[in-house]
Amino acid sequence: MDFSPSDDQVLLRDSIRALLAAECTPAVLRAHMSDLPAATPLWSHLGDFAALGVGPTVDLCIVMEELGYVAAPSPFFASACLAAPVLAAIGDPCLDEILAGTTTGTLALAGSDGMWRANSDSHKTFVPDAASADMVVVIGGGVGGADGGNCTVATQIADDARRITTLDSTRPLYNVECATGTPIGTIDPDALDAIIERATVALAAELVGTARRLLDMSLAYAKERVQFGVAIGSFQAIQHKLVDMSLDVERAWSAVYFAAMTLAAADAPDESDGSASRLDCKRAVHVAKATAGIAAKHCAKDGIQIHGGIGFTWEHDLHLFIRRAYASEALLGTTNWHHEQLGDLLF
Amino acid sequence: MRLAWGPAEESFRDELSAFLDEHAPLEASVRYDFATAEGSDGSIPAWSRTWQATLFDHGWMIPGYPRDLGGRDATPVQTLVYLEEMAARGVSRSLHFPGYAIVAPSLLEFGTEAQRALVPAAIRGDTVWCIGMSEPNAGSDLAGLSTRAELDGDSFVVNGQKVWTSYATIAEKCCLYVRTDPAAPKHKGISLLIVDMDTPGVEVRPLRHINGAADFAEVFFTDVRIPAENLVGSLNDGWRLTQGSLAHERSGLWVEGVARLEHGVTGLIDLARECGVSDDPNVRRRIAEMYARASSLRALGYKGLASPDSGRMSPEHTYMKLASSEATSALFELGMDIQGAYGPVTDAVRGAEHGRWPLGFLITFANTIAGGSSEIQRNIIAQRVLGLPRT
Repeated sequence: MDFSPSDDQVLLRDSIRALLAAECTPAVLRAHMSDLPAATPLWSHLGDFAALGVGPTVDLCIVMEELGYVAAPSPFFASACLAAPVLAAIGDPCLDEILAGTTTGTLALAGSDGMWRANSDSHKTFVPDAASADMVVVIGGGVGGADGGNCTVATQIADDARRITTLDSTRPLYNVECATGTPIGTIDPDALDAIIERATVALAAELVGTARRLLDMSLAYAKERVQFGVAIGSFQAIQHKLVDMSLDVERAWSAVYFAAMTLAAADAPDESDGSASRLDCKRAVHVAKATAGIAAKHCAKDGIQIHGGIGFTWEHDLHLFIRRAYASEALLGTTNWHHEQLGDLLF
Repeated sequence: MRLAWGPAEESFRDELSAFLDEHAPLEASVRYDFATAEGSDGSIPAWSRTWQATLFDHGWMIPGYPRDLGGRDATPVQTLVYLEEMAARGVSRSLHFPGYAIVAPSLLEFGTEAQRALVPAAIRGDTVWCIGMSEPNAGSDLAGLSTRAELDGDSFVVNGQKVWTSYATIAEKCCLYVRTDPAAPKHKGISLLIVDMDTPGVEVRPLRHINGAADFAEVFFTDVRIPAENLVGSLNDGWRLTQGSLAHERSGLWVEGVARLEHGVTGLIDLARECGVSDDPNVRRRIAEMYARASSLRALGYKGLASPDSGRMSPEHTYMKLASSEATSALFELGMDIQGAYGPVTDAVRGAEHGRWPLGFLITFANTIAGGSSEIQRNIIAQRVLGLPRT
């Protein structure tokens, strides 16, 4: 049981952090709001990390955490975390370009009910970055049907993707009508579940990054904002809020990397790297996403409260991260949903 | 980052398991949530004394210490594996923690040679210790303590009162915090004395806990003469020692705190089945929330071990007492909620489970108050971890 990052992981974190600090400022987020291509230059850098889509889960989480910290408007999640592992599972030749970052993809899985599990709806919902993606990987029905219960996988270009307007503009979501195109392969529903679980942990890592950003902004503000002649961070009412926010961030971080290590151990061929059952993985994933969701919402709510009036304005950057926090909390299962699923696994 | 323990840890665990299989008495398997609930008068049963001595003699009492102090020079990670394995089995080392957990490390760090000679017996449990800290007017504001010690020739003369002193009814010795310089700023006039509890002028009056057990006491000091050589550390430097004491008290406790939570979650699942509400989605979701709190805290505890300061108090571990004590309280309250109208019932209506949740709930407040209340913990974290200005 070792939570210390390797030297390579420290290097990875430091390099992506430095890159994002320079290339993904709040000004980029604001430009992207009204003009989606404003974030295209960012992808020219982030594409270099796309190979992590099929790389070590802990490394993937390290990058996602940093992306969440800056609320990066980027197809990284859609392309690397969702599309790449499905293409890898069916051995599709497009994978190489996705991993090289020269092509971007996304995944259309959720149907009308918004749940990310196998279904036969042709109306797909909450497809991230569908309009800008070079290819939409579509998961069709098949559970209990033909082809031994496997789901069909097809690709298409989402030229008719309809934007779903949400609180958050940094990760555009779309409804996509999926034509019954020619399948390029089939995937076992359990393998699909495992891919979604890994993407869920990655998204939870991103949420932790966003939560930490909200905490850092609130902490900095509490130290500099003076009222009644002193910094408001000297008041217990503010201090205790910040402590509770930081505790939620700390435990969410720990739950996320525990889940990442659990998934890695389940895949590891060597017993000495640890072992984990499918049940261990599912539990750890639910805990990670639920705990990250709690932390992000907590930091959003108390963050705005600590900022007071200025945090309620459009001009202040806080709301960019509050919006992202709530949008990500709802994607791939809300905190409530993950607790419900976890409850079913406990009984 | 890696889920598995290393081979050195696993073989260490195997060695411990073999020892426990052979030596651990059944009585040492405590019900974490219920250990002191009923009928306890604070006395230490014979099996517990024997068990603690056995642990010491085999080097399993404090594994990180050398052989002559009841250990085996274990690494901090091996010590964590030890605590984890003991907690997983529900095996308690000792029924009185102040001696081995607080007094021993303080005397080793600050004591004279004669005082350090008291340490082995404190760890082995041959000497029972209590810690005289809180007073009626010095609880959270510990530095405001007013029990006076005045130097008179080669003795200190002590007058004053301590309160909520755990184990005072059975202790042979006490680490007593006293005011030696009333003129100095309050943090700078405190000293630490070792007091034999049978010294004339020491009077112990048992106090009952909220659940009825008598595990702590008020202690009155009237013209108690303490030899000057019983001063620990330098005169008026006692505040520094309180800081050390509290750190020692908190650093390894998280493992037991998390184990108590996990044990409680298992209990809640059984309880929901017994009460016929295991299909209620609301009950399932609330139990799942508790499971998630417990397992994320375990992960946070492990993360603390990876900090550069491995083995000492890491920032992560300052969160653990706060978080696990508050979660435990919520967990027991949930146990009452699940039982509906039967929540507060302490009769034996459910066999062995009787009173577990309502009485356990009352006991959980020991953890959110003792050793620094949750509010004081938040102040400490705000200032020392988050770097916020003092009030």
